[in-house]
Amino acid sequence: MATLKELKTKINSVKNTQKTTRAMKLVSTAKLKRAEEALLLSREYAKKIEEVTSEISSKLSSVKESINLRAFAKIDEVKKVDLIVVTADKGLCGGFNHQTIKTTLKKIEELKAKNIKIRLIVVGKKAIEYFKFAEIEMYDAIEGLTSAPNYEKAAELINKSYNDFVNEEIDNIIIIYNGYVNKLTQKIHVKELLPIEVKEEVNTNEFLEVEPTDDYESVLESLVKKYIEYIMYYTLLDSLAGEHSARMQAMDAATNNAQEMVHQLTLQFNKARQEAVTRELIEIVTAMEAMKKK
Amino acid sequence: MKISIVTPFGKIFEGEIKEATFPGVEGEFGVLEGHAPLITNLKPGVITLKKTNGKEEVIAVNWGYVEVTPDHINVLADGAVPVVGSSESEIAQAIEKAKQLIRDASDSDALVATVTSKIESAARNL
Repeated sequence: MATLKELKTKINSVKNTQKTTRAMKLVSTAKLKRAEEALLLSREYAKKIEEVTSEISSKLSSVKESINLRAFAKIDEVKKVDLIVVTADKGLCGGFNHQTIKTTLKKIEELKAKNIKIRLIVVGKKAIEYFKFAEIEMYDAIEGLTSAPNYEKAAELINKSYNDFVNEEIDNIIIIYNGYVNKLTQKIHVKELLPIEVKEEVNTNEFLEVEPTDDYESVLESLVKKYIEYIMYYTLLDSLAGEHSARMQAMDAATNNAQEMVHQLTLQFNKARQEAVTRELIEIVTAMEAMKKK
Repeated sequence: MKISIVTPFGKIFEGEIKEATFPGVEGEFGVLEGHAPLITNLKPGVITLKKTNGKEEVIAVNWGYVEVTPDHINVLADGAVPVVGSSESEIAQAIEKAKQLIRDASDSDALVATVTSKIESAARNL
């Protein structure tokens, strides 16, 4: 049985932890709100750019025989892919990071079984730490980007991969991340970016002018580049919102657990105190009885 | 005709307009209702919108992509700053931001100067 003093220290320490977790939850709630807003704003653009890309590629494919861009070509044999894994820089958010890592490991196995070589690009400190520990080779590791998504940096990162894709060094880009669904759920996304699918359009006779004249490829190429850059940026935003919602949940659970623990410990403390009181009483009474007999 | 201008950071403008002028890669061009389908890239410059109430609105863009169909226009831009504001200080701020956007996006002094003067003259009409 723990002494009264020990119990008291324990209760205090749990209470302190609870204070921290509660504060962290509040911080995450505030940050989530901001991340959510950014996500909503950019969803508009995501919708538009997807719409426009598919519309234009289908129009062009109807005007021209084939689109002379690797992003639209069908690749028969995939030999090497870029695997981009996005996790948070910080922990304390439940299974958020680990889920992503687990999915990545599965994907790696899957690709290896097909004899596909992998270049692992890791964004986020948590995943970097894991892969270092597991001694899995990383092609590139980026820290600090997931906690502060930045369009330019995201573009720089994905453009390296995209350029390699255009130069036929790799054959696909796969992004794995844990995204935001709502305040209580996150969802793992595994996105294969390339090739971009061309939808066959029904009305094929439509006239379409392209400027610079007859240079469909350059127009489309810049669009595809934007499209891919954008997906990367969106991934970061989505992941950040997911991270905050996961942390909010984890910290909420931790606060509740701490509450429960304080309750249990207080019960124990009261019991111990009562015991001590009873024991003292017995001692006094016995002493008195002993004195009476004399 | 309808136009929507969106950037990764949100929607800049959406609504009904009479006429729009764009800084296309092959030169400035105007779009009226019933324009032939067209797609093109934009270079740094200003988009001028003539709204249905006759008022003009100027939006500076650093890169863009335009899709025109007979009844609507889609503009995707990297960065866009509308030169609007309800007070003079707000307008001045918007102008400064717009100029900065163009300066960052372009390395040609001549282009920056033309665009800047356009932004300023448009602001005078506000």
